[in-house]
Amino acid sequence: MSKAESTIAVPAQDPKKKKDEEKDKVDGPSKVNGDAKEGEDLVSSEEDLQLRNELEMLVERLKESNTELYRPALETLRTLIRTSTSSMTSVPKPLKFLRPHYPDLQALFETWPASEDKSLFADILSCLAMTYSDTQPRGTLRYRLVSASLRPPSSPLSDPGSWGHEYVRHLAAELGEEYTAREERGEEEAQKESKVVGTIQDLHSLGMECATFLLRHNAEPDAVDLMEELEIVERIVELVDENTFGRVCQYMIRCVNFLPPPDDVTFLRTIHKIYIKHQRFPEAMSMAIRLGDPELIREDFNAPGNPVMKRQLAFLLARAQVPYEWLQKPTDEDGDIAEDAEEEDMPEDLVECLSNTRLSAHFKEFGKELGVLEPKSLEDVYKSHLETTRPGTTANIDSARANLAGTFVNAFVNAGFGNDKLMVEAEEGSSWIYKNKDHGMMSAAASLGLSLLWDTDVGLSHVDRYTYSSEEYIKAGSFLAIGLLSTGVRTEADAPLALLGEHVDNKSVPLKLSAIMGLGLAYCGSHREDILALLLPHVADEGVSMEIASLSALALGFIFVGSGNGEVAGTILQTLMEREDKALDEKWARFMALGLALLYVGLQDQSDATLETLKAISHPIAKQAQVLVDVCSFAGTGNVLKVQEMLHHCEDHINTSKGKEKEKEKEDNKDENKDEAKKEDAKLDDTFQAFAVLGIALVAMGEETGAEMSLRVFNHLMHYGEPIIRKTVPLALGLVSASNPQLNILDTLSKYSHDNDLQVALNAIFAMGLIGAGTNNAKLMQLLRQLAGYYQKEPDCLFTVRIAQGLVNMGKGTISINPFFCDRNIMSRTGIAGLLATLMAFTDAKSFILDKYHWMLYFLTPAMAPRFLITLDEELNSKPVSVRVGQAVDVVGQAGKPRTISGFQTHTTPVRLGTTERAELATEEYIPYAPVLEGFVILRKNPGWETEDRMEV
Amino acid sequence: MGNAASGLPPPGGNSPSDNQNNKEKKEEKKKWEPPLPTRVGKKKKRGPDAASKLPAVYPTTRCRLRLLKMERIKDYLLLEEEFVQNQERLKPEATRDERNEEERSKVDDLRGSPMAVGSLEEIIDDDHAIISTASGPEFYVSIMSFVDKDLLEPGCQVLLHHKTQSIIGVLQDDADPMVSVMKLDKAPTESYADIGGLEQQIQEIKESVELPLTHPELYEEMGIKPPKGVILYGVPGTGKTLLAKAVANQTSATFLRVVGSELIQKYLGDGPKLVRELFRVAEEHAPSIVFIDEIDAIGTKRYDSTSGGEREIQRTMLELLNQLDGFDTRGDVKVIMATNKIESLDPALIRPGRIDRKIEFPLPDIKTKRHIFRLHTSRMSLAEDVDLEEFVTAKDDLSGADIKAVCTEAGLLALRERRMRVTKADFSAARERVLYRKNEGLPEGLYL
Repeated sequence: MSKAESTIAVPAQDPKKKKDEEKDKVDGPSKVNGDAKEGEDLVSSEEDLQLRNELEMLVERLKESNTELYRPALETLRTLIRTSTSSMTSVPKPLKFLRPHYPDLQALFETWPASEDKSLFADILSCLAMTYSDTQPRGTLRYRLVSASLRPPSSPLSDPGSWGHEYVRHLAAELGEEYTAREERGEEEAQKESKVVGTIQDLHSLGMECATFLLRHNAEPDAVDLMEELEIVERIVELVDENTFGRVCQYMIRCVNFLPPPDDVTFLRTIHKIYIKHQRFPEAMSMAIRLGDPELIREDFNAPGNPVMKRQLAFLLARAQVPYEWLQKPTDEDGDIAEDAEEEDMPEDLVECLSNTRLSAHFKEFGKELGVLEPKSLEDVYKSHLETTRPGTTANIDSARANLAGTFVNAFVNAGFGNDKLMVEAEEGSSWIYKNKDHGMMSAAASLGLSLLWDTDVGLSHVDRYTYSSEEYIKAGSFLAIGLLSTGVRTEADAPLALLGEHVDNKSVPLKLSAIMGLGLAYCGSHREDILALLLPHVADEGVSMEIASLSALALGFIFVGSGNGEVAGTILQTLMEREDKALDEKWARFMALGLALLYVGLQDQSDATLETLKAISHPIAKQAQVLVDVCSFAGTGNVLKVQEMLHHCEDHINTSKGKEKEKEKEDNKDENKDEAKKEDAKLDDTFQAFAVLGIALVAMGEETGAEMSLRVFNHLMHYGEPIIRKTVPLALGLVSASNPQLNILDTLSKYSHDNDLQVALNAIFAMGLIGAGTNNAKLMQLLRQLAGYYQKEPDCLFTVRIAQGLVNMGKGTISINPFFCDRNIMSRTGIAGLLATLMAFTDAKSFILDKYHWMLYFLTPAMAPRFLITLDEELNSKPVSVRVGQAVDVVGQAGKPRTISGFQTHTTPVRLGTTERAELATEEYIPYAPVLEGFVILRKNPGWETEDRMEV
Repeated sequence: MGNAASGLPPPGGNSPSDNQNNKEKKEEKKKWEPPLPTRVGKKKKRGPDAASKLPAVYPTTRCRLRLLKMERIKDYLLLEEEFVQNQERLKPEATRDERNEEERSKVDDLRGSPMAVGSLEEIIDDDHAIISTASGPEFYVSIMSFVDKDLLEPGCQVLLHHKTQSIIGVLQDDADPMVSVMKLDKAPTESYADIGGLEQQIQEIKESVELPLTHPELYEEMGIKPPKGVILYGVPGTGKTLLAKAVANQTSATFLRVVGSELIQKYLGDGPKLVRELFRVAEEHAPSIVFIDEIDAIGTKRYDSTSGGEREIQRTMLELLNQLDGFDTRGDVKVIMATNKIESLDPALIRPGRIDRKIEFPLPDIKTKRHIFRLHTSRMSLAEDVDLEEFVTAKDDLSGADIKAVCTEAGLLALRERRMRVTKADFSAARERVLYRKNEGLPEGLYL
């Protein structure tokens, strides 16, 4: 509405008034010298004058006492107003001319007795009030309600839409204002102020009317906005129909990220309801997953009668790593029995879909189609002939480090294909394992797990022979490998548990550790109660070292990610309270805090109790844990308040002088000294600041606007921050844009990678690996090659550069670590867990990754997911069709049906999708079951499709 | 920041002294410094720095989502402000002022004065470049370390030390001074109220030029692209330029005006360059309106010509074509052109997509004539016997300008006889004169 007022009223000729014009010409005697009125309004022409006279006459008639004339006068007025057309640039003529009379009419209106005429009068006044909205707010609404109340119930007031679009919009705006005013100041008072009659119910029903009108006229956003303002957004379910629900839902989904906490859940639930009502199960399911509501998920899963649709849903659930148990009936007490009963119900192939059993086979086939099945050697990745090395300086390269880096690069690059040359296909005895020493062997053995990722059949038999190795490290590595290769895949045999369960209590620390972590990775996100019993004692046991206790906590965090499991949380809290300060001072404590935090990923307010408990603990670890729990529970929500909180944490400059000393000592790399230094400033621990920086990224990554704005925040943090903050900023950048190499972030990181502080540089290099993970980005590879030359003499940096190179080529460009999927709408909790654990290891890279615990890089595995699109027919065999793949375009709120992708190319499935890419079917021959073409999509033949008639030549 | 030289330390990094300290430390530690990768000397896109750019907000239609997104951006900006303010406050006094002061004066010393201005030809490596000076010779000189190397790009203006000629700063604003002249500083006094009639035309120009700049969301809602420009055409004296003036008076957008003949330059390539500059400035100051009067000076139909001058003019027009609807998208730049010979214009210039709306300015009809007469006579003191209706209804082909001439002429006649009022006789005589002059040169009644 406001636009009609905001523009300057330039009288423009309405093309519809041709008739009037002709009349004018006949009776247009000289008015050239003009009368008084002409003087004030020079440009008004004769036909305007006539209209004005007519209107004035009608107004006069209303003022007269003859009540019989009222009706026709009002009717004429109404027709005049309704039939007037206006241009975009001016106010409609009748409104303009009646404006001066409005106060008079208002006074007149009050004198009339209640009647149907009065109702009609009020209706007209309501329209006229639009011109007075600046001085008398909410007049339109007021008269509308008065008019409605004066009507007999038998003949309700005409649809507000009959006054035109502008009127409805105006009314909608005033409804919102009035409602907010009433909410704020109490109903009575607000009513007095604006003189609007009617109850909240009246407002609601009028709101519904307006929303119906708006929905019918392609103004879905306006309808949603109105209902949101009136806080009745749930009722939009009644209003939407087959044609509008899609756009309404799209718009609402976009809004969710920006709404304050209670509203966003309401929105999600409403969207879910709409989708269910219109039988869009995959969409509904994605909302249910977003809500993380087991009951809703189960209902949705059982809702569709079509078995094929069920399979499609199963694929979605498998991608989201939804616990299998959620789909079972809650009434069953005994876990085992319930499982058996359910499996009888579910056909075998459905279970296969649910447990990702065929993922590996499909992935390998996909690799074959793309021509990347061939294993890549290290040199293929490094391309060191392109590096700018100076001759004669390559003398003292740390070959053990190089081999170790090679292990990881080989594992990441050939992940999932199970055919790398160094490990899997290596000839007996010449395996790459033996090129490493001690703890290097552990990582090497574990790399088998990554190489054979998802392939539980072949993988286990491959790894099996190493489990009998006499070398302790190899054995430990093989345990880890067992866990790694079954990440995200569930098997009936439950092999990881069977193989690793007994070793959890092993005497040897490496074996024990890797068994625990192996379990954690294998059952990531599964919420398995039986493993809880296995691992929990290790957390609680004060007799074990902090290392084991913390990593057990982390493993539990992995398994129960986002569950809010009270038992685990309680135990970890207990441990934090009871352990000695000395133990909590250890570097491992952060993983215990992380384990606690992971339990609350995405749970928002549900972590409040835990936060309160943490406040009671005096040790600095409590502060770290608080920050972690806080950000994890709001991960991906884009909540600005949390960002602000975290920023406040970063503001203090803690022990500036001591901090520098500490840094120096760290550089000297003397562990004892560092521990001493830590003890000195035990009260002034600043590690939590690092977590706060990560937290900003974690919270902001959920929506694009916030993510982009957070980059600016990081820039400031880099400028003003203490070393601890500065070295975490690159990691945060890597988290914000995982597997999505945006140019500006790339530039920033490339700048940081030459920072004077080696820690910053190191983390920046790793972050470069993260943002390019699995993209094969050529520019990134070039930068990394330059860095390899630049840091020739720095073994630590060179090691990280190699790792980053491996990450960029992850799965030869077929695997992504971005935790968001399904059109970047759903956050994968296991993905977050994986990323966060890896970054945690990098917050103190010197004592974890660059020390003996490089195997922590494998924490990335839960975040790894193939970024393919495979189309299947209804029998679940792959079915090549042509699809268009292009950059996703945000089309929400745009008119018409704009293209959702830009710059597309047509391929035949299976295809690879980038993080910001989207696919759509290029033929009409098939209809997909899933709305979002990602991962596995089942196709149905389009019954209405006919082959295009080919001309016979 | 205009012409400020950029010797200041770039924000975001650590302060120079820190750098120095660290460097010293490093040098102690190891002898050989690995070379920094070269990132300078590439042409960059104009516009704000990528790191400080605000995210674009979609959808562009008016809705709550847009509001929420904007608010989100605002929230973040407030956070930043709070953080930066606190940090600045916490900073020890010494590091903030004194050190900066010291360093600034040191940099100033290094710069020396006077400084010469030259243009950068080529960057050889991180510390050396080839420059050329106005006097002719080119030099191989060093680049001082405090110069912001990100700003260096081939062809830019640089400050040179007066003795060693080394580069000590970059001059950033390199807009053609010709273009800044075209920018309208003082709005003309004519407003829409001074236009008699032409209501249709006013509405059209408002819809296609003003509204897209003020309310782009209306077009978005409808799902159409707003028009890029309009051409005003019609016989002389019908108010084309007047309307453009009124637009300039009304709008708050940057108004650039140029006459077609201004775009014809002495040297080859200067004309097209000027057109480019014009549109670049327009885009920089967007939203903006470019008004090109008398477009037929450069926009005539193309034909085979042997004259170099002709060809240059045609090339200028081709550049204009490209700027109007070429490869680069123009943002909020609207173009108004005016001509009275639309039939002689090149069809490519006025095809839809370049110029979407053609607004005709006809000779005024009776109603409009009356209006125009009223406008011009409203401040004249007329005698009782003057009946303007007589002139209004006369079947002369009077344009708006002619009517103005009649009124002025009548006034002059009255002035000649020192009368205080303009009589009917004056008007009649004036009309005769104007009509006579108008038809002058035409062989009147030849074929009768």
